Amino acid sequence: MTTGHPPRGRHTATSWLLVSPWAVILAVFWLYPFAYALGLSFVSYEIFSGSWRWVGFANFAAVLANVEFWQALGHTVIFTVGTVPVTTTLAVLLALALNRRIWGRALFRAGFFAPTLTATVVMALVFLHLYGQGGYLYSLAGWIGLPVPEQGFLLSEKTALVSVMVMDVWISVGYFALLFLAGLQTIPAELVDDALIHGASPWRRFRAITWPYLRPMMLYAVVINLIKSFQIFTEIFVMTQGGPLGATTTAVYHIYVAGFERFNLGYASAAAFVLFAVIAIISLVQFRLFAFGRGVEE
Amino acid sequence: MSDRTRRDTWTSVLLLFLLAGMLFPLVWMVVGSLSPRWDAGWFNPFVQPPVWANYGDLFRVMPFGRYLINSALVALLVTAGNVIFCFPVGYALARRRFAGRSFLFWAAAGVLMVPQYVLIVPMFAFIHQLGWYDTLWAIAIPFLVNPLGILLVRSAVSVVPREVEEAAILDGAGPWRIIYRIVMPICRPALAVLAVQVFWLTWNAFLFPFILTGDKARTLPVALAMFRGYQGVDRPHLFAAAMIATIPVIIVFLFFQRQIVAGITAGAVKR
Repeated sequence: MTTGHPPRGRHTATSWLLVSPWAVILAVFWLYPFAYALGLSFVSYEIFSGSWRWVGFANFAAVLANVEFWQALGHTVIFTVGTVPVTTTLAVLLALALNRRIWGRALFRAGFFAPTLTATVVMALVFLHLYGQGGYLYSLAGWIGLPVPEQGFLLSEKTALVSVMVMDVWISVGYFALLFLAGLQTIPAELVDDALIHGASPWRRFRAITWPYLRPMMLYAVVINLIKSFQIFTEIFVMTQGGPLGATTTAVYHIYVAGFERFNLGYASAAAFVLFAVIAIISLVQFRLFAFGRGVEE
Repeated sequence: MSDRTRRDTWTSVLLLFLLAGMLFPLVWMVVGSLSPRWDAGWFNPFVQPPVWANYGDLFRVMPFGRYLINSALVALLVTAGNVIFCFPVGYALARRRFAGRSFLFWAAAGVLMVPQYVLIVPMFAFIHQLGWYDTLWAIAIPFLVNPLGILLVRSAVSVVPREVEEAAILDGAGPWRIIYRIVMPICRPALAVLAVQVFWLTWNAFLFPFILTGDKARTLPVALAMFRGYQGVDRPHLFAAAMIATIPVIIVFLFFQRQIVAGITAGAVKR
């Protein structure tokens, strides 16, 4: 220790005083509930008598044996696989368009972001009315000749989930376009000029210049979109309550029903951890895939 | 060159059509919130007079004023808490070496990756035990220190040159003086990003306020979701309520657009 520095003991004490707000919140509102949830998943808990019994892995077995859980997980996968690639592709195209020399760029950027800015509950309520009988989207679909269910899009088993997916893309494209635009704006102008002078084709320019700058953003965007999609709840709660006939019951909605409507806390916690594991594995695989792709190209 | 200019004009025109489509739901919300009660949705704002009373009704007939105040109080409290608390934490993680530092840092990164719903059941039980159910404490205190804010401050502090602090140490300044008088003012842009981001996320938050409040401490998004179930709430009033939940974030966005964009991209740049 050089002179002028405080003694080590006091140094550590000051450091801990500085980080104490986070240390307290972390311990009380994150680690404790997390441990509590983990504990709950191994017990059978009677909410009315407050009594509990150790059941080992029985809750996990119940989750894995429950057809409803797998259906809910299936809907979640359909939702994710159906929205993430579409949102990503449209967002990249939008970002490329916004990155060109166009008039009103600031206005466009703000405008496309507006649906993301608005609370999910608000957007879900508006779309609830757009999709219903006589709603504008319902009428529009009928007018251009699409087969429309007579009870409205959200009350038909065939169209309910797809309708929520369309809304999700609608809302989140602006957010991801903004992310990609930030990536595009880090491309040095000389690089683009150079390529233009050498007469590189648009596709070659995209591959050689744009893509390398876009890729780090792409990994981040796809991972957070995936995590977000696997957790879809608000839209489902507001628009369909998991119906009709369970057609839009997603994994988190299933967990919510188990915990807060059937008061099966052990089952709900176990299901939450199963889903957590699924998300963690998918995120890891993604990181691997992207890292692998990089190794091959370089 | 002229070829390039022309193409960009077409891009603008295309974008304009796209934007009109994208914004249609929001425009319809504005128009719908001002339409008469019996209207089926084909309200023409240029022919019929707007019904401003829809907004007033919300506050007369329902405890909507309370929901609005709850939302505002929680958003302001959580925003202030994050600005005050995240700074020293982020500073200490960036600059000071002490036992437990890397654990606290990785915990912040880890918490961001843990899906919130894993915690809805135990949080509900715990908040009940504390006697905080249906109070503003329940939806404010756990969120006073956002891990995203810690990471934001940490990366802002780590680019401040160390010489700035060393000069102050030579002048005999203590650690607290250095943190609050010297480093914090330099990091003001990052704190603005943090404040705007937290306000926005808290104002729009649904899951935890929904789980942890009843009628008394209910916030606007939760109240809106509940309106859906009430038979008495018609579309104009519903949309008026949705407008009241939306206007504050639009205002914040108009003033702090740069900070919102920076907040969104902050997470990506670090990786």
